[in-house]
Amino acid sequence: MLMLGLRLEIISTILEYLPIRDLCSFARVSKQLQEMVYDDSRWVHKLKLMGIWNETEARRRFEDAMRRRRAVQAARAAEEGKKALENGVKTPNVGLAGGSPAPGVSRSSTLFDAGEEENRVQVQREASMRRAELDAKRRTVAGTITEGIDFMNPAPLTPIDIPRPGIADPSSLLKVLPSIKSIRGFARHEFGRIYAALGPLYFDLAKAKTHTDPVVFRIYRDPEQQAQILAQLKVFALCDTAHGWMDRLERLDLMIGIFENAALREFEGGYETGDTDGRMRRYANVLILLNGGQACVQLFVQKHPVMFERGELGNPMDSFDKPMPGSFSLEPSSLFFTRLSALLHEQADVIDRVFPATVNVMIPFLERVAEDVISEFVTPILDEAHDRDIEQYLKAVAGIYHQLLEFAKTIKATNGSGEKFPEEVMKIMGRVFEAHVDLYLQDELEYFRKKCEAEVDSWEKKILEEDAATESFFMSNINREADKRDFLSTFKKVILMPVSAIPSPFSAKSASATETKPAETSPDASSNSLSVQETPNVSRPGTPVVPGQAAPGPPPTTELAAKAAIMNSRLEGIRSLFSLEVALNLVHSAKSSLERAALFASAGGQTGEEAREQCEQIFIALLQVLGPRHVKAGFDKAVEHLSKYNPREITEHSQPGVPPLVTFLELVNVGDLIQQMIDVFYEQELVAAKLTDPRDFLNPAAKEKKRFEQMLDERVAAGLNMGIDVLIDEVDHLFAITQQTTDFNPGAIGDAGLRDFDIGPTKTAIQVIEVVSSHTKLLTGSIDKNVLDVFNQEVGIRLFASLCKHIKRQRISVDGAIKLISDLNHYHAYIATLKIKPLVPYFNALRELSQIYLIDPSHAKQMATVIADPNRFGGIFRVEEVYEYATRREDWYRVKKEVERAMYGIGCCIS
Amino acid sequence: MLEDVGEVTEAIPIPNVNENVLKKVIEWCEHHKGDPPAQADDDSDSRKKSSDIDEWDQKFMQVDQEMLFEIILAANYLDIKPLLDVGCKTVANMIKGKSPEEIRKTFNIQNDFTPDEEEQIRRENEWAEDR
Repeated sequence: MLMLGLRLEIISTILEYLPIRDLCSFARVSKQLQEMVYDDSRWVHKLKLMGIWNETEARRRFEDAMRRRRAVQAARAAEEGKKALENGVKTPNVGLAGGSPAPGVSRSSTLFDAGEEENRVQVQREASMRRAELDAKRRTVAGTITEGIDFMNPAPLTPIDIPRPGIADPSSLLKVLPSIKSIRGFARHEFGRIYAALGPLYFDLAKAKTHTDPVVFRIYRDPEQQAQILAQLKVFALCDTAHGWMDRLERLDLMIGIFENAALREFEGGYETGDTDGRMRRYANVLILLNGGQACVQLFVQKHPVMFERGELGNPMDSFDKPMPGSFSLEPSSLFFTRLSALLHEQADVIDRVFPATVNVMIPFLERVAEDVISEFVTPILDEAHDRDIEQYLKAVAGIYHQLLEFAKTIKATNGSGEKFPEEVMKIMGRVFEAHVDLYLQDELEYFRKKCEAEVDSWEKKILEEDAATESFFMSNINREADKRDFLSTFKKVILMPVSAIPSPFSAKSASATETKPAETSPDASSNSLSVQETPNVSRPGTPVVPGQAAPGPPPTTELAAKAAIMNSRLEGIRSLFSLEVALNLVHSAKSSLERAALFASAGGQTGEEAREQCEQIFIALLQVLGPRHVKAGFDKAVEHLSKYNPREITEHSQPGVPPLVTFLELVNVGDLIQQMIDVFYEQELVAAKLTDPRDFLNPAAKEKKRFEQMLDERVAAGLNMGIDVLIDEVDHLFAITQQTTDFNPGAIGDAGLRDFDIGPTKTAIQVIEVVSSHTKLLTGSIDKNVLDVFNQEVGIRLFASLCKHIKRQRISVDGAIKLISDLNHYHAYIATLKIKPLVPYFNALRELSQIYLIDPSHAKQMATVIADPNRFGGIFRVEEVYEYATRREDWYRVKKEVERAMYGIGCCIS
Repeated sequence: MLEDVGEVTEAIPIPNVNENVLKKVIEWCEHHKGDPPAQADDDSDSRKKSSDIDEWDQKFMQVDQEMLFEIILAANYLDIKPLLDVGCKTVANMIKGKSPEEIRKTFNIQNDFTPDEEEQIRRENEWAEDR
């Protein structure tokens, strides 16, 4: 037993190198070796190599058996009877391969007790030991089989009580592989069935010299059957791991190749003669049986006339120069797609007739069409367009792609095209454009960027050419918020419409919107003003407009343009800084670019992803041009103007506004408007179209948008800072030049008769309040509430400081005190309207303070009490400060002694 | 294997393998040291298909049976997979085409079947016989 000195695993390895025949001889050597050979896993492995072992089926069967075992004992017999019957029906009888003589001619069909056999198997499974199972199988097999072939029936599960045919008819062999069951413990069994059926044919074929030799071709005359058996042999060859398998496989492949070629020739013949339902159909079937029919599908696809006659569908160059040179039209390509669609429709019918539903012919066919016909058509167009003009190219890409998608939708599915047909078609069509998409997206972005910059540049140049020192004018009465809301709602409405489809029924009428401009009253324009446009400004005669400044230009063609014109006319003042119109134009071209690119985003896959990114890029480019290039420059310029402003240099102060500040505040307004516009654009175009994910805070588009907003806020903040300075400077200046000495000291000039007892604020106070309020009002609604509050508070505090300084410069008589009090009341009333709580105590204190001027000089003691009472001023003024104010009394030197004595004297007394 | 041991200076003992066999194994290894390394993916599941034994190996394996098995055992013990394969193939070739009785004789295996059992198992395996 030298051999058994080897480890079992080594013997097992040796067995793997043995051909089946020798394996079986080996099993007959001794019990131990038999056990090893019979090991189920060895045979399961062979079945697995052929790909016909179904693990789930095996498990299910096993579990079924377990479940059945648990079932009620009484029901068992009946159940098994039924199952036995089913199995009997299901299992085909596998005979012997034709052509090979059956050994053991005497065939006694054995009957055995199905129930008992089943029971035995069940009981053994109960033990759930493979070993036991194997034993059972062996015993069963041994007991029931009288000749080798009979063994091939899975006897224990399918008791056979019908006489078997003597020489199995060859056609039953055709089904041997599909009939194999995956049963644990019976793998050798099942393998035996296959081997007995296919083995002889296989080895015979492997030995054959010419293609006429093999038995296979002699037994089966029918090409369908030949194909079937060859396909089975091909599978069978997979389990042949023994020495020399390569030669055998090669031989088999050779035979299959010869057969396939012959069948293909027949198919081709059928194709050429147009014998669709006859030869083509038959040989398509044969080839499909043989190996899935890829070869004939390919042949079918390749031989198709559409591949050679694509010129008839349309000439790509037709798209150009018709109807006039240099123009580009999508008409020819649309015609092309229509023709192609009709042709494909026809082909779908042919395919349905020739091929069974199990093969998908339409997809390879379409792939080929896409590659050879559509690409060949589209590429020259795009190349040519690219050479001619970028804009044309961009339009061509998007237009043709759109047509292609439409075309893809019209393609009819065939029987075999499967459920995912539409998606597959889309994928194929997407591939046509794959090569172009990258270039296109790049160009789109570049084009957009260039266009934007050109727009801004030309605008800047225009502004430079015009007088840089633009006259600013004041528009405080405008109901800003309502206007903006109105404008934005129009903007939203328009942005929702596709660019190409923007209606232009408003072309001539829009001018009416600018009614207030005397220069622009075309007769028909004023006659029918649009309802949407009536609201904002018609009833506002107070709006100062520089006559003739509004250049009529071409009348705006859309509602949005009309609105923009209104806004623009109002915002003439900031013309030199930045323009809403430019922003609008930029947004517009961004929209058309986005729309084109978004077409590709819907394509899905990598292309879609890239297109999506590109869309974001376009948006980012828009923000970058609009932000740093346009808006920021405007803001910077405005801030610069502001900082240069010196109220003393300007003689004219009739207008209740500081021109650069007004300009700046207008700018803030427009900036806010643009920002809201961008916001709407972002929401509608990118978020709603699912081009970007608003929740992804790392998203470059969202980041850029934030940066834009931040930039705007920063500019606004910087400007406001400057603005406050300027405003207060202006206020100081007003104080300095308008406040008359007689205001608070009517007796100063000595002419008592002219005393003015009019109780009311002085001109100065009214003017200051007007200046301040007009500026703060400008901001309402255009910046954040918090920012506005901070701004107002700052303005209030600075105003307070200015007032204090101012009062300290005045001489105030008792009579003048009334005037002062009314002034301070006026300030107080204004501050109260701002609704800024922290400001109120300051002005309350001022009001209190003014009373010290009212006290008659004879009541010095009381004056002292007022001065020394810190609670009176809510902590705003210290006693020293109040004292200082008191010194501004016109009669201070007369009362000083008294007051001081009263103040300090009282203190002395107490101490 | 040596990597597992780490750096050691003293000799690694190889029990179970005698000198003659080890010499043979080393001879084989010397001859095959230039071979391309086997693919890493030959996991146990996809059992390899057998290929020819090259001439040198055939000559190399022309030894008596005892030696052959010793080499196989040594190859297994030392985990030299290609050598193990060659050995197994050689044994498989020795089995090929022989009747059960001849196999028994070749490998000196005792027949422990009763005549009845023998007949039964012959029938069980008749399907694989040449016809």
